Amino acid sequence: MLNKISETKRQFFAAAEGIKNSKELEDLRIAHLGRNGTVATLFEEFKTVTPEEKRVLGKELNLLRQELQARFDELKEVIESSEKLSAPKIDISLPGRVPNKGTGHIVAETMNEIITIFKKIGFSVVTGPEIESDKNNFEALNFPADHPARDMQDTFFINKDFVLRTHTTPVQIRIMQTQEPPVRAIMPGRVYRNEAINARSYCMFHQVDGIYVDEKVTFAELKGTLVHFAKEYYGSSVQYKFRPSFFPFTEPSAEMDITCFICGGKGCRVCKQSGWLEILGCGMVDPNVLKYVGYDPEKVTGYAFGMGIERISMLKHDINDIRLLYENDVRFLKQF
Amino acid sequence: MKIVLSWIKEFVDIEDISVEKIAHELTMAGLEVESITNYGEMFDKFITAEVIEKIKHPNADKLSVCKVNTGSEVLQIVCGAPNVAAGQIIPLATEGARIPNADFVIKTTKLRGELSQGMICSESELGLSNDHSGIMVLSPETKIGIPLAEALGQNDVVFEIGITPNRPDALSHQGVSRDLAAIFNRPMKTKNLSPERIAKRIEEVAKIAIEDKVNCPRYSAVVVTDCKVGDSPDWMKNRLRMAGMRSINNIVDITNYVMLETGQPLHAFDLNNLAKSSIIVKKANDGTKFKTLDSVERNLSGSMLMICDGEKEVAIAGIMGGENSEVSSTTTNILIESAYFDPGCVRRSARALGLSTEASYRFERGTDFEGTMYAALLAADLMQKYANGKILSGELDIRAESLKKKEVTLRFNQIERILGYSVPQDKVVSILRNLQLGVKEVTDKIVVMTIPGFRPDIEREIDIVEEVARIHGYDNIPTVHRVSSPLVSAVDDLEMVNSMRRVLIGMGFNEIMNNSLQPAEITAVTGVPVPVMNPLNAEMSVMRSSLIQGGLATVKNNLNAGEKDMRLFEYGDIFIKKGEAINSFEDFEEVTVVTMLITGKAATKTWNEEERDYDFYDLKGYLKSLLESYLVTANLGHVYKTESDPVFEYSIEVFSGENKIGVIGKINDSFSSLFDIEQAVFCAELFVNCIERKKDKLKKYNPLLKYPKIVRDFAFIFDSEVRFDVISDFIRKNSSPLLKKISLFDLYENEKAIGAGKRSLAFTLEFYDLNRTLTEDEVEKEFSAIIQKITKKFDAVLRGN
Repeated sequence: MLNKISETKRQFFAAAEGIKNSKELEDLRIAHLGRNGTVATLFEEFKTVTPEEKRVLGKELNLLRQELQARFDELKEVIESSEKLSAPKIDISLPGRVPNKGTGHIVAETMNEIITIFKKIGFSVVTGPEIESDKNNFEALNFPADHPARDMQDTFFINKDFVLRTHTTPVQIRIMQTQEPPVRAIMPGRVYRNEAINARSYCMFHQVDGIYVDEKVTFAELKGTLVHFAKEYYGSSVQYKFRPSFFPFTEPSAEMDITCFICGGKGCRVCKQSGWLEILGCGMVDPNVLKYVGYDPEKVTGYAFGMGIERISMLKHDINDIRLLYENDVRFLKQF
Repeated sequence: MKIVLSWIKEFVDIEDISVEKIAHELTMAGLEVESITNYGEMFDKFITAEVIEKIKHPNADKLSVCKVNTGSEVLQIVCGAPNVAAGQIIPLATEGARIPNADFVIKTTKLRGELSQGMICSESELGLSNDHSGIMVLSPETKIGIPLAEALGQNDVVFEIGITPNRPDALSHQGVSRDLAAIFNRPMKTKNLSPERIAKRIEEVAKIAIEDKVNCPRYSAVVVTDCKVGDSPDWMKNRLRMAGMRSINNIVDITNYVMLETGQPLHAFDLNNLAKSSIIVKKANDGTKFKTLDSVERNLSGSMLMICDGEKEVAIAGIMGGENSEVSSTTTNILIESAYFDPGCVRRSARALGLSTEASYRFERGTDFEGTMYAALLAADLMQKYANGKILSGELDIRAESLKKKEVTLRFNQIERILGYSVPQDKVVSILRNLQLGVKEVTDKIVVMTIPGFRPDIEREIDIVEEVARIHGYDNIPTVHRVSSPLVSAVDDLEMVNSMRRVLIGMGFNEIMNNSLQPAEITAVTGVPVPVMNPLNAEMSVMRSSLIQGGLATVKNNLNAGEKDMRLFEYGDIFIKKGEAINSFEDFEEVTVVTMLITGKAATKTWNEEERDYDFYDLKGYLKSLLESYLVTANLGHVYKTESDPVFEYSIEVFSGENKIGVIGKINDSFSSLFDIEQAVFCAELFVNCIERKKDKLKKYNPLLKYPKIVRDFAFIFDSEVRFDVISDFIRKNSSPLLKKISLFDLYENEKAIGAGKRSLAFTLEFYDLNRTLTEDEVEKEFSAIIQKITKKFDAVLRGN
C-alpha cells in the first residue's frame, strides 16, 4: 500500500506538470482529490488494513492528501491569475447597445433657456389659460374697442366674450389682480393668431412675457434687465438698440434689436443684410393698465416685455419653415 | 407708407443731411424705415435713347435688331418686345446697368449671332409697375441721352415706413416732416393758401346738412366749377407713382395728392350728379344696396354712415364713393368733401363691408379735425392750376361743438420718474414746440399744452413723456443693471412639467408639439370640444380635448415618412366644454396633461440583441418609473378596464386618492384606423395638475437592511382568468410583515403540458426583518402556510420543484 501511495503521488505531480488551464486542473482534482478519486480510494482501502499498518499508513495518507491539496491550490492560483490576464478575447470595436436618444422639443427647450435666465434674477414663472376672456386679453390691456390696434393681432374667437389669447400678456392682469406690488414674473405660454399658415407664420406660437411693477421702476432698469438677458442668452459681446414702437399696454414702448448672432452684425441672409435682429417688444406699463388692476399709477410704475419663442429658435437653429416645428417628424426632432 | 424725399423737403430743410442719417433718425424716433429706394442709384447707367431703325432678327422669329441713338453714339440692341418701333424714345440699360427687377447686370453680348449692346426695358423690368406686355415708351418730348431717373422725374429717394396704429399723423408727408423738424431741431415750413375766387358763392350751388353729428362732427366743402378733366402734370404723376398710387385723372389725382401730403382723405363729387345740389350725412337704411366706385354692389346696414344727396346715397362715409356721383371725363363742377368722421364708426363699417381703403385706413386711426378746410382749399388751388377750375367764393363748414382740443399738463419730474433720468427742462420744451404740440404755459414745474387735432394719440401726461423720450432718443436713457425690490419667494408653475419632461427625455422619449386646434369629429371622442367661432378651416375648428389625437396624427406622419418605431411625449393644455354655452371660466375646463405614446419595435435586430415589438408592459413600466421618479405613489389606485372604450381596447385608470391622475392603455383598432394606423399603439395620458409632488410630502429615511434576506420560489397552475394582481394581493394580505417583496419571474401557458385555460405563474418571495436574522424554520412555516392558502383559495396546483 505504501507503494500505491508513492505511485499516486508520482502520478499526480507528473500530471500537474502538464496542466495548462482550469479545465485540466479540475479534471486532475476530480481524478485524485474528488469523491471517487485516487486519494479517496486509498482511504477506503485503508479501512481494511491491520491496526499496526494503520499507524504508519495513516500518517502517510494524510501527508499525501496535504501535499496534493497544497500543490493543487498552488496551481489553481497560478492558472487563474494567468487566465485572468489572457482571458478577455472580446472585440471591443463591436457596436454597443444604444438606447433611443430622447430629445426635448426645441421650442420648449428655447423657452426653458429663457425662463432660466429670468429665474436666476428673481422672476417667478406664472402660467395662465389659453382660452382667455376678451376683457383680460384686450380691454384690461388698454386695447380700445373698435381700434386698429386690434388689427395687429388677428383673433380666434370662442364667442364675443372669450378668445384664444393672442399673447401671454393677459397673465400679467391675472397676477396683478391677485397680488399687491411688488410683482415680478415671467409668463411663458402658447398663443394664437388667426393667420394663414405658411413658411413664415403659423396660427399658434409661444411667447414669454415679463413684468416688474414696484415703486420707482424705470425705463432705465428695463433697459438694464433686457441687456442683461441679451448678454446671457446671446453672448456678452452682443450690441443692442432700443427703437420706439407702439403697444397699447405700454408707454413709452420700444422694440429691442440686437446684432445678428449669425454674422455678428456684418450682414447676412438671416438679418436681411441689416446686421440687426428684432428680438422683443417692451415698455413701461401703461397707467391705464395699472388703474385697471387697482394699482395707483402715482405710487408705482412698472415695465413689461415680451418675445416670440419660435422666431428665436428658428434663427438660432437656421430653420427656414415654421411648419417643421409642428410636423414632429422624428428625423427632425432627433437632430436637437 | 411710402414717403418721397423731395416732397418732405418742401416742409423742412434737410438738404445737408444724408439719406442714411434721415432713415436712421426716423427709425430711432419710432417711424421705422423698412426700406429705402434710391431711384438715382437704381437707374445708374440707364439713359434715354431713340430707336432709329428696327429690322427683323435673321435667326429668330420673335426678336428684332434695333439701332438706337444715345445722343453720343449709335448702339445695336436685340429686342424681344412686340411694340418696339423706330421713332420711339425708350429707356435703355447700357453696359454695367443692373436690372432692378431681375438682379442681373447688362453686358455686351451676342444674341443668336447678333451683337447686342444693352437692353430696352419694360416698366416691369424697371420695377415701376407690373406691366411687362412690352417696352416702356417715353413721351416724344423727352430729351435723348439723359439719365433715366431724371427723365422719369424720379431722381428721388423713397422711404417705406412702417407706421404704428397710434400715429395717424405720420400717414402723410406733412406729418413725417413734422417729426423730422423736431428730430433735427429745424423749423417747419407752412404753405400760404390764398387761391383766387370767382364772385359766385358756394351757397348758391350747394347745401349741406348733417343728421348724425356724433359720427360726423365736421364736414367742410369747397366747390370748383368749369374744370377740365384730363391728365395730371408729370411731376404729380411721378410723385403719386413713387408713393405707390396709380394716376387716374387730374381731379382724382389731386384728391389723392392732398391726402398723401396732409393725411386728410378727400372726395370729389360731380356736383351735377348730386340731386337737389345737396349733401346729407346720415345713417343708411338697413338692407339698402349701394354700388361703390369699384362697381361692387354692397349691402348696407343701419349702423353705417352714408353721404346722401337730395334723393339717394352717394358715398359710404370715409370709405368709398358711389359709382353714381363719380368724376367722369365730362365732369365740370366739383364739390370737394373734406370731413372728419368718428374713427370707430368708420372702422365698424369698413370691417362689416370687408373693405379697406386709403381713406378708411386714415379715418379709423383718427384724422386732423382741424385740418379739413385747409385740405379742401389746397385741392381747390391745385384744381385751379391743373384743371382750369374756378373756385367759388365762400365755403360750407359744419362743425359740432364736441370737437375740442385736449389740454394736457406735463410735470417735469415725471420724466425722471418714468424714464430713470432727467432731460433738461428747456430741452423738453423745445422738443414739444418743434412737434407743434401747442405749448401755452411753462413754469419751473409744469408745461401745459393744447394738443392740436393732428395728434389724436396724445391725451395724457404719459403720452407727452413718450414724445420727449422718442425725440430725445432712447439711446440717451441710461442702462441700469440693478434691481432693488423686497425679497419675495418666486414660484414656478412649470416646475412639475419640466421635471417630468427631463425624466421622459432621459428614458429616450422624443418630445413633440401639436396644434391645439383640431378637427371637431375626432376631438369629440375624448370630450365635448370647445369650438372656435372663426376657424381657419375645418381641420382646425375646435380646441383639443386630449393630446392623443395629435399624437396619433404624428405617428401616422412618421409612418408615412418611413419611421416605424417611436416613443413620443407631449405636454400641453386640453379643453373640455362643460356648460351649454361659454359665459364664464366655469363653463369649460382647461388642464395640463402629459401624453406618452409608444409604437413599433422596442429593439431592432442587432448582433447581440433580438428584435422585439413594444407591448403594453413597456409603457406600463415607463409610466411606473416616471411616477416613482417624481411623485408620491403610495396611495395610487387602479381601475382595470378590459372591455373596449372609444379610445382604448383595454386600459388602466390610475387614481391618486379620489383624483383620476391618468389613463394608460392600448389604442383600439377602430380609433387608430381613423388615422390610418395599422400597427399597435400604446398610450398614456397624465393630468399634471392632479399629481401630488414628492416634495410636498416629507420623505423619511428607512434604515438600511443589516440582516440577510431569505428568498423562496414557487409556481402554481391557475385558471387563466385569475388576474395576477388578485393573486399577489392575496399573498400579501395573507402573509406576516416578514414578507417584503413579491415578484413574478415566470409566466407559462401550454395546453398540452398544463391544460387548456390554465397558466402557470412563478413567484419569488423575499422575507427579512430589519432588526434580526430570520431562522429558516420560521420562513419555512410562513411559506408553507401561503402555499396552502393559495391552493385552497384559487384551487391552484403547486408545481413540483
